[in-house]
Amino acid sequence: MRVYILFLFAMMSTRLLLLLYLTGHVFAKKSQDVDCLVVNLDYVSCKWNKTGTPEVNYTFYSKLGNDQWKICNHYLTENNVNIGCNQQVDSRDRFKTFRTRLTNGSENFEKGHELKKQVKLNPPTNLTVLNGSDFNLWFYWNHTSPAPLHCVEGEVRFRTNNNNWDFSKVSAGIQKYCINLPSSSSRYELQVRNRIDDSCGESIFWSDWSEPVVWGSNNSTYSKDLMSPWTPVIYVVGAISFILLAMLLLHHERLRIILVPVVPKPSPFLHNIEDWFQFSKGLKDNFKPDYNERACPVREYNYVSQSDVVSSDGSTCSVTTDQTNCSIEHDPEDLSAPFPSNPVSSEEVQKASV
Amino acid sequence: MKLIVFCLFTIYCCSLVKASYPMERKKLQEVLRELKMLKHDIPNTELMMNTPPKDIEDCCCLTALTCFRETLLQHFGISGKYQKKLYKSLNHTLTISGLNFCNTETSTTNCSTCHSHPKEKASEFFNRLESLVQRGLSRIN
Repeated sequence: MRVYILFLFAMMSTRLLLLLYLTGHVFAKKSQDVDCLVVNLDYVSCKWNKTGTPEVNYTFYSKLGNDQWKICNHYLTENNVNIGCNQQVDSRDRFKTFRTRLTNGSENFEKGHELKKQVKLNPPTNLTVLNGSDFNLWFYWNHTSPAPLHCVEGEVRFRTNNNNWDFSKVSAGIQKYCINLPSSSSRYELQVRNRIDDSCGESIFWSDWSEPVVWGSNNSTYSKDLMSPWTPVIYVVGAISFILLAMLLLHHERLRIILVPVVPKPSPFLHNIEDWFQFSKGLKDNFKPDYNERACPVREYNYVSQSDVVSSDGSTCSVTTDQTNCSIEHDPEDLSAPFPSNPVSSEEVQKASV
Repeated sequence: MKLIVFCLFTIYCCSLVKASYPMERKKLQEVLRELKMLKHDIPNTELMMNTPPKDIEDCCCLTALTCFRETLLQHFGISGKYQKKLYKSLNHTLTISGLNFCNTETSTTNCSTCHSHPKEKASEFFNRLESLVQRGLSRIN
């Protein structure tokens, strides 16, 4: 029983809470969100139509710092309903808190804004291009805001012959940009935008891009590969020359042989390689696969004078070098031979001494 | 002779006034650089300091500058490299003249003392000092 009562109590509480939530959601005031932007440091533009056109006309008030509330002089409307206000303020006071108030009868929405970084400048103007005496391309521009020159930084983008954009930052205080040694056959297009520099409270918004300026050929149709007018002529002349040369080669054999020599056709029969060269017969035999070279014995020779050999036994002995087993023939008349005139082997020396 | 000397002296003083604007701008830019170095050097601290308000009247900017300088000295001293540089720059005559927005003819403002300002975190202290210097730079032509 107790459990049943507790269950009923929980169910009723849940339903009551749900009912309260739904009715609260229906009758809750829809707050208006106001967004403000300092335009070109001339005026502040505030709008409250981010979530859609409001249903009622609100009255807009604003004040800067500790000043008095000021009513809006210039409303922005949409379908006869106020959706925003342009308020003239001293742009130098954007460092102070900017407070806004929207009222409609008993409704009252107040909000504080930090305008230091909420600045959007107008795009630069009078963008001009000059071909300098240093053969470089110089671009110049102006800005229309009351900001000092050292407070405005820029960014340029340029492209060559309608290719992709290249971006480059321009430091504060500088209102010119240089493209080095441009090509006279290319087309250059440049745009610039600006914003407040960090030293004066950097704005988070860049201005819109300026009107583009173009340098280079204007009249021709531009493609990535610019064709010279002489190119078709060269193609035609080249084709005619090729045809004439082909005809000459076909009808004049002599010319054909000179220009295109005949490549000798290798014989299908195999020949011995040694027949290609002028070798002696002995050297030819050396290349035969069954060639067998016998070892040549090497003897040590001592040099003994002829007088000593004769006095020992009264007989002379002649010594010859046995070279019958050697493959290399020794020419006795060859004076360049390393052997002496009377070489004596060690065996003959021992016989002579005995 | 005296008239010629007086005229020459007047021309000389006028040229100094005209030539001082770039010097003021350079000095304030130097203060900004030193402030950024100090903010980077000091880790995130929960230190609470008397901080002038966001909405400073034109004729109270010099009073606020003095408050920033003395509070910096009190809490960080001048022993550190960047603290010393910043303190000296905030005390420089060019900085003071660059942040003097007061038109003495219309000055009727009573500026709050430094101790009367509520305490804020160190990060907020440095942000407001940065805004004050940027405000000065945005007014120099």
